[in-house]
Amino acid sequence: MKKRVGILPWLFSAMVVLFGVHAGIAAEPVATAAAGQAAAGAMTAPTITIDKTELNNGGAIKVSGQAPAGKPVFLEVWAADHSVRANRFDSEKDKKTGIRPYIFYITSEMPAYYKTFVPKDLQPKIDAAKKEGKKWSYSALLKDLGADLAYSVPAKAKIDRYQSTLVASVVGSRGDLLPAMDEKENKSRSMQLVKARFQSIDKVVAAAVEVKPDGSYTADIKIRDGLAPGKYKIVAVVDKNVKSEAVTFENKIAFPTVYLENAGTSMNLIYPFVLTLVVAIFGVLMGAGGGFIMNPLLLALFPALPHTIVAGTVTPTVLFSQGSGIYNYSKIKFISWKLGTGIGCAMLLGAFIGPKLTEMITLDQFKFAFGWILIILAALMLWQTMPGYLAKNKKEQSILKEFKKRAEETAKGK
Amino acid sequence: MKVDFWGQEFEVNMVVGCIGGFLIAVMSSMFGFGGGPFMVPLMTVALRLPMYLVVGSSLLAIFFSTSVSTVRHYQFGNFDLIFFLAMFPAALLGGYIGPQIAKRVSPLVVKRVACAGLLLLALNLLGLY
Repeated sequence: MKKRVGILPWLFSAMVVLFGVHAGIAAEPVATAAAGQAAAGAMTAPTITIDKTELNNGGAIKVSGQAPAGKPVFLEVWAADHSVRANRFDSEKDKKTGIRPYIFYITSEMPAYYKTFVPKDLQPKIDAAKKEGKKWSYSALLKDLGADLAYSVPAKAKIDRYQSTLVASVVGSRGDLLPAMDEKENKSRSMQLVKARFQSIDKVVAAAVEVKPDGSYTADIKIRDGLAPGKYKIVAVVDKNVKSEAVTFENKIAFPTVYLENAGTSMNLIYPFVLTLVVAIFGVLMGAGGGFIMNPLLLALFPALPHTIVAGTVTPTVLFSQGSGIYNYSKIKFISWKLGTGIGCAMLLGAFIGPKLTEMITLDQFKFAFGWILIILAALMLWQTMPGYLAKNKKEQSILKEFKKRAEETAKGK
Repeated sequence: MKVDFWGQEFEVNMVVGCIGGFLIAVMSSMFGFGGGPFMVPLMTVALRLPMYLVVGSSLLAIFFSTSVSTVRHYQFGNFDLIFFLAMFPAALLGGYIGPQIAKRVSPLVVKRVACAGLLLLALNLLGLY
């Protein structure tokens, strides 16, 4: 059985290769400290003002200011109060050595919102990157836009990395913690994590800044809804080390919209409540827990929720309906404890490994695998509505009813 | 392994049961569902056990895997309390309302609807529409 355990991570690694993120590590332009200072000396820092300091669950803010003439202006916007977790499993072949690293990167200091607004004339470059589909590379895009010099906040996030091994996968651990990375490595890894966390280009870059020849600039930046509440900061950047002071605005949300700390998004709680209610009723009618409908529905309806949170939060919800089911059956002694525990022990092992695999795969792999699971499940359901099965099932059901009745009577008699 | 249940004895092939259970557990804990719809066919078809033995016992088996997977997800920080609190009462309420509607609808229709719904969801996840 150990062998089977061992194969799984490799299978997923293979999937990572097939569908994984294309993460070209862009060579960072290293400006020497001296050059940076010289530039700073030659250029005055841009100014920045915003037209309002408060938003209600997203909205638009007008940013304006004065920058040195003839320079592109980038606006770096991030959530200052809330940070989220981002992780990525790197199993991509190293271009130089041809060895797969199998390193798991994780940080808990990714800002809950991070976006760079670039000059409007760069829109074609963003469109070109979008054509690459899911394989787009955040670092290459930033470099292409010249916005890499404005990239600073996530670069400072502390990233832990673990060397995954087969043995570690079997025992369900993340692997050995590797020594911390230097600043440059940390920065380039953080870019991959930005992509892993925010997924789509639209969420991390937008062309919105209008720069006039005299260097004054304006930008209408849109802050989408469903974001973390609290303070957000904006900095205008024209060059490395040439940036404005940070201006702050506050994003407010009101009940029933609540910020989900681990998921990193705000959400109107009524939606999941109603959804769960419908799915739970349907689950009872179908004679199965609603977990496998709930998960894909949540993923499809609320793309902002990370798949790890969805899986991790639906699981305990299902747990209670199972518990009450067991209680009801055990009252009439309708459970074979020996059989249930026997197979249950094998399942304990499996359930120990599964959650780790969840965080090692990307959202796309998660959706792909889940899609196929649902197709198998649909086939199973279809088979259960076939005449052949129904005829057999009818007999089974009547036996089931009879035994249950007997059991109930015995339970009552005592 | 021999299992006694209401005066009858069943021979269970534990090798098949454990391997199948293990795989179902990995899958269900990874994607965050219970695993009942897979566990029941495993026990009835692969292990050739009668339905009346399976209904309760399969529930017990998947309860093991769901509880461990809950703990593990919690350890990895995948659990969001507020989100859970929004869903949990709804799940309880659904579990209460469900059985009352169940008497009035045909399980066959429900299964066919579910089948179509699952296919739609699957296609959505696979990005085909």
